[in-house]
Amino acid sequence: MINYHPTEEQLSEFAQGLSSPALALVISAHIDMCGKCQKHVARLESDSAKAVFEDQINIAANQPKEFASMLADITCLPVSESPSATPKESMIELDGRKFAVPRALKRYVDKTGNWSHLLGNLWQAPVDLGPIGKAHFIFMQKNGRVPEHTHRGTELTLVIDGEFSDGISHYDTGDFILMNSDNTHAPHSEASEGCLVFSIVDAPLHFTSGIARLLNPFSHLFF
Amino acid sequence: MLVGIPLQSNNANIPKPKECAQEMSQFLVTVADKRCKRSFAEIFNYFAPRLRSYCLKQTGNEALAMELVQDTMSNVWQKAHLFNADKGSPSTWIFTIARNLRFDMLRKQQNRKEDICSDDLWPILCEHTADANEVTLEEQMTLQQINTMFESLPEKQKVVIEAIYIQGKSQQEVALELDIPLGTVKSRTRLALQRLKELIKDDD
Ligand SMILES: [Zn+2]
Repeated sequence: MINYHPTEEQLSEFAQGLSSPALALVISAHIDMCGKCQKHVARLESDSAKAVFEDQINIAANQPKEFASMLADITCLPVSESPSATPKESMIELDGRKFAVPRALKRYVDKTGNWSHLLGNLWQAPVDLGPIGKAHFIFMQKNGRVPEHTHRGTELTLVIDGEFSDGISHYDTGDFILMNSDNTHAPHSEASEGCLVFSIVDAPLHFTSGIARLLNPFSHLFF
Repeated sequence: MLVGIPLQSNNANIPKPKECAQEMSQFLVTVADKRCKRSFAEIFNYFAPRLRSYCLKQTGNEALAMELVQDTMSNVWQKAHLFNADKGSPSTWIFTIARNLRFDMLRKQQNRKEDICSDDLWPILCEHTADANEVTLEEQMTLQQINTMFESLPEKQKVVIEAIYIQGKSQQEVALELDIPLGTVKSRTRLALQRLKELIKDDD
């Protein structure tokens, strides 16, 4: 069951088109999975639309002469194929297991690189979002563990399939998690099916313990 | 040149929201069914100036505002058949199209000035330590690099390092679990760390 949603303010900014692109993407994917936020955002969008379109504006001042040719050009365009062009590939695959991704992430399925196996029963596959942030699908196998870390920027996580805990809370499929420099956590999954998440960071993580200690000044390594 | 499609040139007769929604819904249906240019012109005349004004307020950029109007209204023309009056009003539908295009625009615009220094998600940082040996940004290692080094360790050392550094167990716990003397755990840890230290040096 989904317990962690974007805040009211985040949803409202999203509805108005004011979120950062990375946040907009993760919120949009959460909304695909969360009926509650979906309804709420639909209402906020309707409010925003009213505010924008029922506003008394000076029509003449916003009617540049280019509009005539724009209108003519548009009506020469062909109709889009229906239903809207959905990408052929909408599942990501790891070790023979297939995972459905939310609608908002489908366009990135074929921009997802190969999986690499990391320490601690972790798998990660990079997702090329362009310059808006570093994105990965991360899979924690049973007992998989990301070393404890804090954040130099913002870390956005959406649980795609499964459950995990991080020492702060327990998260389930669909949960939306935003972490920043105020939070230190150590994600791990005890679920026998493991846990797949989608994550975007805008700055490198800062590891506070675990494997990272291997790289701390070496004089401190010897007990 | 366009013939037969009038452009609204003044702001007379602004319809009431509710009537307007019904009217615009009807125009959208006609566009979807008959590719009716006249109906589309009605939609365009109502929404385009308002969209332009909205985007100008948000961005202060005339070219961007025009681009957003063009892209949004093109979508409306090409995807009118996807409009579903049961799901919301024409203005909400058109607004969300514009809003999503705006997100896409921002995505493309965001340049690489805040580029992330590592190719990987988890560079290991120790920059907050005031130690002389502190790892600088250039010397960051990624979990993946560490992983490769880790894989090169003898199996027995790997098991101990993983238990202590990843699972966070104490040396005593590891000794009990593997049923080996505490001294052996300590020496395996020491050997493994020495080996990793050499590997990290070599990596520079
Ligand atoms: Zn929600």
